[in-house]
Amino acid sequence: MLIEIRGLKLNLGGSPILRNVNLALEKGQILGLLGPNGAGKSTTISVITALRAPTAGNVRVLGLDPVAETLQLHRRIGALAEDSGFYDWMNASSYLQWMASLYGLGARKAEIPALLHRVGLDARNQGAIATYSRGMRQRLGLARALINRPELLILDEPTNGLDPRGRREIHDVLLNLSAQHGVGILLCTHLLDDVERLCTRIGIIAHGETLLEGSIADILSTQGAAVRYRLRVAGDQPSTLPNGVTLLARAGEWWHVGLGGSGDPANAWRSLIDAGWRIEEIHREGGGLEDLYMSVTEGGEASI
Amino acid sequence: MNPIALIARKEAGELLLSTRGLAWLLALAVIMSVLSLLLVSNTELSLLDNAQVVYMVMGTVTALGGLLAVVLGSDTIAGERERGSLLPLLLAPVTPSQIVFGKMGGQVVGWSVMYLLSLPYVWAVGSSGQNLVQSVVYLALLGTPVVLGFGFLGIALSARLRNVRSALLTSLIMLMLMTSPLLLGPSLRQSTIGKWFDALNPFSAAVNTFDSVVIDSQPLGMQTTRLVVALIWLAAMAALAVRSVRKMEI
Repeated sequence: MLIEIRGLKLNLGGSPILRNVNLALEKGQILGLLGPNGAGKSTTISVITALRAPTAGNVRVLGLDPVAETLQLHRRIGALAEDSGFYDWMNASSYLQWMASLYGLGARKAEIPALLHRVGLDARNQGAIATYSRGMRQRLGLARALINRPELLILDEPTNGLDPRGRREIHDVLLNLSAQHGVGILLCTHLLDDVERLCTRIGIIAHGETLLEGSIADILSTQGAAVRYRLRVAGDQPSTLPNGVTLLARAGEWWHVGLGGSGDPANAWRSLIDAGWRIEEIHREGGGLEDLYMSVTEGGEASI
Repeated sequence: MNPIALIARKEAGELLLSTRGLAWLLALAVIMSVLSLLLVSNTELSLLDNAQVVYMVMGTVTALGGLLAVVLGSDTIAGERERGSLLPLLLAPVTPSQIVFGKMGGQVVGWSVMYLLSLPYVWAVGSSGQNLVQSVVYLALLGTPVVLGFGFLGIALSARLRNVRSALLTSLIMLMLMTSPLLLGPSLRQSTIGKWFDALNPFSAAVNTFDSVVIDSQPLGMQTTRLVVALIWLAAMAALAVRSVRKMEI
């Protein structure tokens, strides 16, 4: 288990900030940490990264106690904060070389051009970091988080400021790290598209409490959060629908259907085609994770 | 390389390679140039004797060194926090003590640069007199603990006050209070409060030593108490900086 948090409580200045946070992340998994602004996500991350000591509860990260074994933990994790800063007078290579030395990894300096290339930065760019766009800074932040080949990667809004191509490239890097290298990733984001594309598990936090935690498929299935689709279908259709597909409405050639949270859309479309449906277009209309998030966090922004 | 040395090297690079650091050094060089020109002119006109001029340059270098130290010190923690570069440092496998000692190393480099920068000016005003060597030695001996103490005070305030503006303002007020002997007249300095202030104030210890050795040609043995005051100031500010960084919250 990379992250194991049970009953985490944290008081700051006498006020309870985290009341009961529970999270679990295993090797190779990507956990999406969701919640309204002020819900306690960043504070939870600060406990995981040993920047704050918990008031109560059990926190183990990579099997270590973050408070007692901080340096060992920091050697094995990588983190990217939301508003990550750099030494703007340095260039990307010299900055990463400096960071590698700080981790005692001076021998890995030769790998820095490849690392820069991996996150989509040109190692030949010797310009000062001060001249970098927000997207370039995000990429550099990710390179910094990967400098020590971490077993656990903690990312706060990693695709902020990236164009669609850049976002896709970062997604690919993260998926590769998770699938090929077994890196566990804790992804804190407001972009549900990112979560749906990358994560296998989610944790939803509000008011300092974990409201939901588990695999996305299980949660969607147990919460009955169907995903809605709009299909354009030509010709006459049989009246029967395969299991897991629910007819919500029909307007001419457009059919509105719901797909159970645990259902695989590809299987559902195959079943419909096998049943004689001539599907010409499929549009996703919503539902699923977005509806689930909205219903679970109903009540607006947290007060903390 | 040791993390302390790496952080100190980064701090030095920030002073010597960043536009901001170079601008500060350039400003100090301009101030020293104008002051030296005025003093040399006065010496040529026999309005001031050479020892007096050297003493004034030493006091000014110490005060400007203190100014540079509090500016650098106030920016070390709070500035990094504001620019978002503190968090990656705290997430690296380095202890808060290593961070603060590295930052202190940066202060040593800053003062060393300031000291080297001042030597041509000390030579320009003192080369025609008999006390050039004493001025260079005593500037290092007394100026170093006093200036570094101000830098460490800046680091401590930077860790505690969390933003550069508050840390810098508080450090500057402290610096102005300490350097006020330069502004006080002889009668005020002879009052009971003035005497106590002079005895306990590390900046007074430095400038009074400069006065004694350069103008009155006293030996080092007679400056022990003042040297101890300066060293206590340095040790106290170093302890405060270490404690403040260890206790700081993210």
